[in-house]
Amino acid sequence: MSLYKSCLFLLFSLIDINVFASGDVNFTPSEATNQMNPALSSSAAGVVNSAVFKPFADSVFSLNLLSSFPEDLEISDYCVELLNIFGQRYVDYVKCLVPAARPVKVCQNCFSTYGILVDTYQNISSDQMGPGNVSCRDSLLRSDRLMLVYQLYSNLEDLWEKSNCDHCITATFQSLTNTTLYFMTVLNQTITCFDQYKERNHTELCKNCKNTYRGLNELYGRMEKNHTLCIDIEDAMNMTRKLWSKNFNCSFPREETVAVIAVSSFMLFLPIIFYLSSFLHSEQKKRKLIHPKRAKSYNSLMNIQDKLS
Amino acid sequence: MANITKKVSWSSRADESAAAGESTPLLNGSEQPQHSRQDSLRGRPKEIPHNEKLLSLKYESLDYDNIENQLFLEEERRMSYMGFRCLEISRWVVCGLIGILTGLIACFIDIVVEQLAGIKYQLIKENIEKFTETGGLSISLILWAVLNFTFVMVGAIIVAFFEPIAAGSGIPQIKCYLNGVKIPRVVRLKTLVIKVCGVICSVVGGLAVGKEGPMIHSGAVVAAGVSQGRSTSLKRDFKIFEYFRRDTEKRDFVSAGAAAGVSAAFGAPVGGVLFSLEEGASFWNQMLTWRIFFASMISTFTLNFVLSIYHSHAGDLSNPGLINFGRFEGDSVTYNLYEIPLFIAMGAIGGFLGALFNVLNYWLTIFRIRYVHRPCLQVMEAMLVAAVTATVSFTMIYFSNDCQPLGPESTEEYPLQLFCADGEYNSMATAFFNTPERSVRSLFHNQPGTYNPLTLGLFTLTYFFLACWTYGLAVSAGVFIPSLLIGAAWGRLFGILLASTSSGGAQHSNAIWADPGKYALIGAAAQLGGIVRMTLSLTVIMVEATGNVTYGLPIMLVLMTAKIVGDYFEEGLYDIHIKLQSVPFLHWEAPATSHWLTAREVMSSPVTCLNRIEKVGTIVDILSNTSTNHNGFPVVVQVLESDEPAKLCGLILRSQLIVLLKHKVFVELARSRLTRRKLQLKDFRDAYPRFPPIQSIHVSQDERECMMDLTEFMNPTPYTVPQETSLPRVFKLFRALGLRHLVVADDENRVVGLVTRKDLARYHLGKHGLEELQLAQT
Repeated sequence: MSLYKSCLFLLFSLIDINVFASGDVNFTPSEATNQMNPALSSSAAGVVNSAVFKPFADSVFSLNLLSSFPEDLEISDYCVELLNIFGQRYVDYVKCLVPAARPVKVCQNCFSTYGILVDTYQNISSDQMGPGNVSCRDSLLRSDRLMLVYQLYSNLEDLWEKSNCDHCITATFQSLTNTTLYFMTVLNQTITCFDQYKERNHTELCKNCKNTYRGLNELYGRMEKNHTLCIDIEDAMNMTRKLWSKNFNCSFPREETVAVIAVSSFMLFLPIIFYLSSFLHSEQKKRKLIHPKRAKSYNSLMNIQDKLS
Repeated sequence: MANITKKVSWSSRADESAAAGESTPLLNGSEQPQHSRQDSLRGRPKEIPHNEKLLSLKYESLDYDNIENQLFLEEERRMSYMGFRCLEISRWVVCGLIGILTGLIACFIDIVVEQLAGIKYQLIKENIEKFTETGGLSISLILWAVLNFTFVMVGAIIVAFFEPIAAGSGIPQIKCYLNGVKIPRVVRLKTLVIKVCGVICSVVGGLAVGKEGPMIHSGAVVAAGVSQGRSTSLKRDFKIFEYFRRDTEKRDFVSAGAAAGVSAAFGAPVGGVLFSLEEGASFWNQMLTWRIFFASMISTFTLNFVLSIYHSHAGDLSNPGLINFGRFEGDSVTYNLYEIPLFIAMGAIGGFLGALFNVLNYWLTIFRIRYVHRPCLQVMEAMLVAAVTATVSFTMIYFSNDCQPLGPESTEEYPLQLFCADGEYNSMATAFFNTPERSVRSLFHNQPGTYNPLTLGLFTLTYFFLACWTYGLAVSAGVFIPSLLIGAAWGRLFGILLASTSSGGAQHSNAIWADPGKYALIGAAAQLGGIVRMTLSLTVIMVEATGNVTYGLPIMLVLMTAKIVGDYFEEGLYDIHIKLQSVPFLHWEAPATSHWLTAREVMSSPVTCLNRIEKVGTIVDILSNTSTNHNGFPVVVQVLESDEPAKLCGLILRSQLIVLLKHKVFVELARSRLTRRKLQLKDFRDAYPRFPPIQSIHVSQDERECMMDLTEFMNPTPYTVPQETSLPRVFKLFRALGLRHLVVADDENRVVGLVTRKDLARYHLGKHGLEELQLAQT
């Protein structure tokens, strides 16, 4: 049994180290080594053991067990407070995200809630000691294998990074950038134009909205080059393009088939002429044969004949 | 019936054997009746159209065998232990230099091609975009054609008019060189310059070619140049590496250079070593292998290093090879046991398509040699091919309806929209509107669903014919990349079809077959194997280029199958071209069923012999005789005053005689001028490798009467065989020792005949048994 325990302990401390080594960019190496300090990690592993292997059903019992931990392992009130705030902000942000999923408006609608969430998380993860000289970073973020707070936050962070929202939002989460706002205006103009002609003939739409649409396209191209695109803009542009090309059928038609065929068949005709003319007019290359000197075979007259000829 | 007549007249010593009616040249008794027909053919002119059953006189052997004459022994005696150590070290230095220079050349080609192609495609793309809107796309087509046309014209002109040997991939030529055939002008500086410029022109000119094959040739030229420590073309002699100025050493370095070239081209150092091993294995030792590996590694490293600076992350050495297949990682690498039969089936398809490619190219090449032999015609042909390539590509793109969305992962450099919806690009254009290397990579790595089957099918078909048509033009260009591209296209098609047929079945099996990139890789290997028929080295090259050993087994199986199936129909492309160039190439083994042939039938006879102390006039006359362009002369001592052929005492080469004549080493002069410097081995080396022709050496009437003593200079111990030695035995001696002349002596050591490379190479196993090739002036 003790062997089993120590194996488990080893396993968990290994997992811990692995997770910290790979998972979190915020932690410096010195902190990581600090984590490996034997006394601390052994107690951490103990917590993990008890917390993880408890069945969910008797949560009351587990609460009892937790309350019986010695003083220094208890989580401070300040940290609990922080945790609650984090939870609240988290819920706010997610609530904002979900309705903005389609059509994508995650950047423009939710950047402020995300900013607040980031603040809260920074409070938790900062080095600064709170009241009563406690830092909640260790106790909240990495005292167990699951690291729930960290995982939750990093999921959203990934989402934010994938959506490239940083490109559309000012650095302090204050507002949308000017280029984004400008793009939105141009986009609105285009959509208005579409709406205006939508009911009537599509060719008219193609003709009349061409300029605004092209302006939008060029703006988009410029932003693409400057890397100032975020998912909102990309999605809006995509939808507009789809409207333009698929719904209204304003793509370029294939009109000059005849000219292309004519030019290419002319080109394809050239080699035929070339090969025919070189076959007919070029002098065929002949090779002069040479007869090497060979020994007389027993009953052979050929060498004599060769010499004669 | 006319067909048969033709065959007989082409094959094998027809004239000679005709009258005798003996069974020497043609083995099969069934052909006996036809011999009588040949009597009527005797009157015909001795000029025939070029065909594959000829041996050209212009190719000579390399002198691989060491000439152990007295000068050599003297030099060896003078050389200290340190001297030998220094030689060994300088060999390593030379190999390092070869690696570095080859790597730099590869970088140069890569960067210039990328820049020029970038400009070209950008220009055309802008033009196409402009004209898609306003109309007039045929002008874009003409612009594209003219751009291609111009680049290829430059490339073809420099090749056709200045250095025709730089045409093609150069691999057949290097293969011949490593086999021991001296191909004129193949390892000269001028060839290198033209090769490099030509490759850049032809790749930028949008032909269906790659720049990998020429890298091997370039590496070989670099090696041949560096190891000599001088350039005859530039008339600069650095006075270093003088010891290496002979064929034996030079060829070792050339094999290192070829390896370095492969390694730079594919990022495959081991593959490079094995390539050299596969092509030149008859002269091999461990130290040489190790040195060659060193050269290969250095070359990959140099390429990596310079490219990392170019891509502005210096020091990152993960940029191997000109062609980078990209990384096969994650799900795409897994394959299962039940996929092996599929891979083998793909190998068979590859072998069949490869054989088809080779047959078509064979007929085309014969036509080219016979009819398109003037340089201006060759340039015109290349230009036409360039224009047609552009036209076909444009037409395919124009009429393609395959539109794909621009994804975040799409790596298209020049996406063309044309008539696609906004935000989408023409899928056909990724295959055609790109340098071939990039197309290969996108076929390997683009997500499933990037190409639709129709696009791939059409692409394979057109590219197959374009590539086949392009190879053999008078431009320097390789066939590796086009083969890979064709194979990758049909391999991907195969993968897509497989996935779609199995999608009705179980869901999980679909997941494994979902990645067509894997099948693209296997298809590429199969097609390449089917065309070039390389085995070991190609497997390793492919494995190294993909950077994944997991694929070792499938690639090996595929290449094996491709070779077996392909060999059933036709030889490999390089072998075909070697044959068509009438090179006396010695294969691994003597043709089977040739044991009944003895040295007596094989040898040339009578032999022009020289006396040990010979009159200068006689030597000059023999050397100037244009009808007998002999290179080695047995040296004999007359036995008393009899008429019998004298006894053999040595062998002397034409080049040695010429140096002797140039320095006027005559017996009389030596007596009169005692202070005269003794001729050393250095004097022979200085003249190497371009010995002056006999016509340029002036010998006065008085000097003609002088005598020359050859004792010091001849090789006193030439290899000899008795007359009854069988052909395979002679063959083995030649192949293993790298001989150039083999004297056939009788039991009294009198010279009966002389066997040379051409005497052996003329026998080959054809479809009708043993056949003989004819010697011809080309």
